[in-house]
Amino acid sequence: MLAFIIRRLLILPIILFGVTLIIFMMIWMLGPERLIGTYVKSPEALKSEKSVERLIQKYGLDRPAPEMYFKWLGNVLKGDFGYSNVGRQGVLQSILELIPYTFELALYALIPVVFVGIWLGVIAGAHQDKLLDHGIRIFAIVGWSLPDYVFGLLVLLIFYSYLKWFPPGFLSDASMKVLRDGPWKHYTHFVTIDAILNWRFDILWDAILHLVSPLLTLSYLWWAYILRITRSSMLEVMRKDYVRTARAKGLSEKVVINKHVKRNALIPVATVSGGMIMQLFAGTVIVETIFARPGLGRFTATSAVTLDYFSVIGAALFFSLILIVTNLLVDISYALIDPRIRLS
Amino acid sequence: MVETGKTTVREEVLTVKNLVKYFPIRGGVFKTIVGWVQAVDDISFHVYRGETFGLVGESGCGKTTVAMTLMRLYNPTSGSAYFGGKDILNIHGNELRNLKKDIQMIFQDPYSSLNPRMRVKNIIAEGIKTHRLATSKQDLLDKVAEMMEKVGLSVDHMYRFPHEFSGGQRQRIGIARALAVEPQLILCDEPVSALDVSIQAQVVNLLKDLQNHFGLTYVFVAHDLAVIKHISDRIGVMYLGKMVEMTDKRNLFNHPMHPYTRALISAIPIPNPELKKNRTILVGDVPSPINPPSGCRFHTRCPIAQAICKEQEPLFEEKSMGHFVACHYAK
Repeated sequence: MLAFIIRRLLILPIILFGVTLIIFMMIWMLGPERLIGTYVKSPEALKSEKSVERLIQKYGLDRPAPEMYFKWLGNVLKGDFGYSNVGRQGVLQSILELIPYTFELALYALIPVVFVGIWLGVIAGAHQDKLLDHGIRIFAIVGWSLPDYVFGLLVLLIFYSYLKWFPPGFLSDASMKVLRDGPWKHYTHFVTIDAILNWRFDILWDAILHLVSPLLTLSYLWWAYILRITRSSMLEVMRKDYVRTARAKGLSEKVVINKHVKRNALIPVATVSGGMIMQLFAGTVIVETIFARPGLGRFTATSAVTLDYFSVIGAALFFSLILIVTNLLVDISYALIDPRIRLS
Repeated sequence: MVETGKTTVREEVLTVKNLVKYFPIRGGVFKTIVGWVQAVDDISFHVYRGETFGLVGESGCGKTTVAMTLMRLYNPTSGSAYFGGKDILNIHGNELRNLKKDIQMIFQDPYSSLNPRMRVKNIIAEGIKTHRLATSKQDLLDKVAEMMEKVGLSVDHMYRFPHEFSGGQRQRIGIARALAVEPQLILCDEPVSALDVSIQAQVVNLLKDLQNHFGLTYVFVAHDLAVIKHISDRIGVMYLGKMVEMTDKRNLFNHPMHPYTRALISAIPIPNPELKKNRTILVGDVPSPINPPSGCRFHTRCPIAQAICKEQEPLFEEKSMGHFVACHYAK
């Protein structure tokens, strides 16, 4: 097991190197005239054609691609990811500052996804073709068919425009002022947890109100997804001979479902959940943009639109890192769930 | 078994009367019932205490369905079965769960019938716990260890998973599991057909030993006549959801009355190439249980069928002492 983890960690830099290469090439193909936008700080600098040429030369954008790439890579290895126009500071600082916002959203989305999704899936599987099952399946098909950008706008329309329950954004102005000017101590940088630690339940309530719609948008699709996988896996296991054996033992239906069916049915669910965690992070790009929340997702979206290529590469690198680490964790937990894998 | 002169007074532990099990066939957009598979159609038999009742027939004749229905893993379409004074086909809830303390089942496939994620100890202990047969944790552990020893498994293997065992060993786990709740009646659904021939003998002999030791009653379902002949005291022969002949072992093999039984027995291979046998070879396939033939279900393949067989279903009657046959021309 340890050898497996070490092997996977050794591959990590190679994968990251490949990721930087691919993303850099995609950005490079835009051509120097577009890339120079990253360096232009004011419209005046673009007054004459000549200054653009001069800027391209100055920043080495006319150099061959390998040269540009290795220059950038050398800086990265020194810890310099370049300057982010979107973040108005270094790329690394911007990303580090925005991580808590996105993690808070993605991790909170994960909890209802896993628990509600599995719970509904188990119920649907245990009551196959009953009314309850049909209801849950309709819920799942709707969730699975609605793209998050459409569903997000619907949520905004209903809960903000019409019902005025859940506002978009991150916090209300009053709360933001407290966060900026104090009294406020940053413990974890997760605003909900910090609010409890600061004993400011008004801010906690405010943060929750702002979290509801993005969480709903981010997780509905994945509720549906996990639910469908759990349900079909349940149905498969229910037909297994050992479930019949369990019934023959005289166990109650509840024990049969919980102890014999559910435990075996959750193995494939654990596998897909790993991939889903990454998809949740990807989903923050759209959700943070729709609900105007600060975070890595919106940072990536804005950087891409404004051709802030240092930021785009930095964000892409960071998302790859999350993907690789979660995949590793999933493989480890998979071995823990299934005794047959652990022993062989 | 108490023999008093010519007649035998024996206690019937299980009496099955007119058991019927039809499976619906669903089709179309709204999954409506478009037909029925007549898996078991009006079967009656009785099992005496301490004996092994063999149930034999071709695959698809409904013998496993009989066992599954008696175990209430399937709900019967109609009929009744008396066990300990109760109609076990018409009880529900707690009463039904308690029944599973007295009737247990050994399944056909030892590979798939054990939960792959449970250790042997838990597989065996689960039934004991459910039926509250152990007084303490230590008592539970002792009971599991005792069961494992009884079926010839090493107690050291208590914390292993099923996939670490061979087929024969797994079937022993299955047997220990069934025995753990101290049942009176065990339904064996082809317990050896998934095993190698050499292992089959071991398991069959183990079942016999356990029967003597615990005073168990078996209903033994199998398609292999050699196994059935070895273990059974009385045998019922099934064809297409019907019982066609039922009598004790000696009678069945020496004086089979039903033409189907005679064909089956003549098909048993004799390990002597010199010996010429007078085989009755059945032509054609077993008809579908969805649209079984009219009259006697065997008339389409019967070597002695007459016109009446096609029209009138023969009664399952006692033709001689303890020898039941369903045939117009039984002799």
